[in-house]
Amino acid sequence: MKLIELIDAYKIYNEGFENEVRALAGVSLTIDKGEFVAIVGQSGSGKSTLMNILGCLDVPTYGEYFLNGQDVSIMTDAELSKIRSRDVGFIFQGFNLIGTLTAYENVELGLIYQGVRASQRYDLVMDALERVGLADRCNSRPSQMSGGQQQRVAIARALATRPSVIMADEPTGALDTKTGEQILGLLKTLNEEGATVILITHNMDLACASDRIVRISDGIIVEDNLLRGAMT
Amino acid sequence: MSFTQGFKMAGKSISANKVRSFLTMLGIIIGVAAVIIMVSVVQGSNRQWKEYYESMGTNRVNVWANMWNGDDITDDLYDYCLSLKDLVIGVTPNGYYYGNIKYQSKSTEGNYEYGTPSIALGSDLYSVCNNFTLVSGRDISWLDVQNYNQVVVLGSKLKDYLFDYKNPIGEKISIGGHRFTVIGVYAEKGGTINPYVDYTAVVPYSMNRLLNRSNTFGDFTIKAKSSEATTEVITRLTGFLTGLIDPNYGYFHVYSENTWIEQEDEANRMMSLVLGGIAGISLLVGGIGIMNIMLVTVRERTREIGIRKAIGGSRRSILIQFLIEAGVICGTGGILGILLGFLGTLVAGKLIFDLILMPSMPLSIGAVAFSVVLGITFGMYPAVKASALQPVEALRAE
Repeated sequence: MKLIELIDAYKIYNEGFENEVRALAGVSLTIDKGEFVAIVGQSGSGKSTLMNILGCLDVPTYGEYFLNGQDVSIMTDAELSKIRSRDVGFIFQGFNLIGTLTAYENVELGLIYQGVRASQRYDLVMDALERVGLADRCNSRPSQMSGGQQQRVAIARALATRPSVIMADEPTGALDTKTGEQILGLLKTLNEEGATVILITHNMDLACASDRIVRISDGIIVEDNLLRGAMT
Repeated sequence: MSFTQGFKMAGKSISANKVRSFLTMLGIIIGVAAVIIMVSVVQGSNRQWKEYYESMGTNRVNVWANMWNGDDITDDLYDYCLSLKDLVIGVTPNGYYYGNIKYQSKSTEGNYEYGTPSIALGSDLYSVCNNFTLVSGRDISWLDVQNYNQVVVLGSKLKDYLFDYKNPIGEKISIGGHRFTVIGVYAEKGGTINPYVDYTAVVPYSMNRLLNRSNTFGDFTIKAKSSEATTEVITRLTGFLTGLIDPNYGYFHVYSENTWIEQEDEANRMMSLVLGGIAGISLLVGGIGIMNIMLVTVRERTREIGIRKAIGGSRRSILIQFLIEAGVICGTGGILGILLGFLGTLVAGKLIFDLILMPSMPLSIGAVAFSVVLGITFGMYPAVKASALQPVEALRAE
């Protein structure tokens, strides 16, 4: 079942000017539900732009993007934030937790924006924190936790809203190898439990943990390899 | 996102930066307190002034005429005043005798606090015209005037001085060497603001002949029925006296405290506006402080805004969050400002007027409401700026 369908997408900055930049130059990509896809590329290859579009943080200049069958490329700002809240869970390289909030509150935030009622939020938050093994640290602030723990809180935040797709942008980039492996293992587990995971990285070792590698260079897909059997 | 959530989030980010939030509030606190104290002090002085005049009685007209050529216009003037009976409640000549009063061994000469009492010569309507009410005995009657009765009614302060707690009715006192019988006592009316009005004695005006060796009065007090009637009495009296007195041989003066009160009211209103306005400017400066700090906050929290947007925060929810934050800072500052304003008003009232001054409730609520509106107005620009941030760019910020 198609989850993501990107059709001939372009992202062009300063179009028509001398300093025109084509971050994406006609990308078509289809990702099925339950896949674990790695998008790899050098810095400047357009992989971040691709992630921003796939994650509905940005819209393509040209082309169409369907997420869960909805045409995202024509959505307004308010509709996009609704989609992000409901369908996308982000995991960033720099964790991107809010420093003034506790682990619990950080995870809760996505649910608040989703409009989940206060009475139902506690169970969802604690359930997500338990899955990343941090239920006992729910009252800690990010500054009181290690990098690995912070990233696990970020994963819990992405999980809690039950998104259609989890976008992980260099999730191990700021972590040591051992912690990085743990995080990767967690993502794999989530995938095995049914979540669609898109991993954006420049690290081939990391990418090899996925089922499918999409290589992007100069704004176009140059390689799309299935490593393991299709999950559908 | 609900408003309750907005308030919780605002509370969190305000308490995350306690010192800064307090310093920002300080502008509002001082502004609100200044408005409350300034306006309350002006209102306090206005009230004090009003109480003074109200103890003297409102709707009073004084007419005063003096003939240089020695003509006696007493009867003409008195008769004319009495002829205004549709407009007036009472008329009395206003005579004075300057001298001390003795009762047995006690004399007003020995009273260093109030000095020589004012002894008034008036008609049976003197008390009505001057807002005196009787507490014991009887008032001066028309027969007392006609029969040259040597009777006197005492003001409360003078009675207290001469008689302490003794009943003065029927006692004989000496005024200018003449014996007078005390027939009544007036209630205290001046309070602490104007105690001198109660340090008085009133005798029938026919005693003018005995005390001052004179039969003429150039001074009358009229109590009019209403403030409109007061104006009418002034107009008519002025017309009558203009016709009666040749400016080469004499002059006259007609006036009412009503005009003074109106002028004083007007002056106080202006004063309230000016001082309140100046204090209002400090509130405005406080509001600009809010905008400044909110702009810094938005810049500092660009990344946080990006995160919030990435995980589903809409433009509207970010806008509301920052507006509520500005509103809460100003509202809290406003409430603290009221407390400071109340305290300041009490202290100022005690120091300046020696009375318990209370700021008016509508003024205080108005000041807080204004500061919240101010916060939301000045918070609008930073909040719009925050909500308009592109998530991709906001996330890139360090």
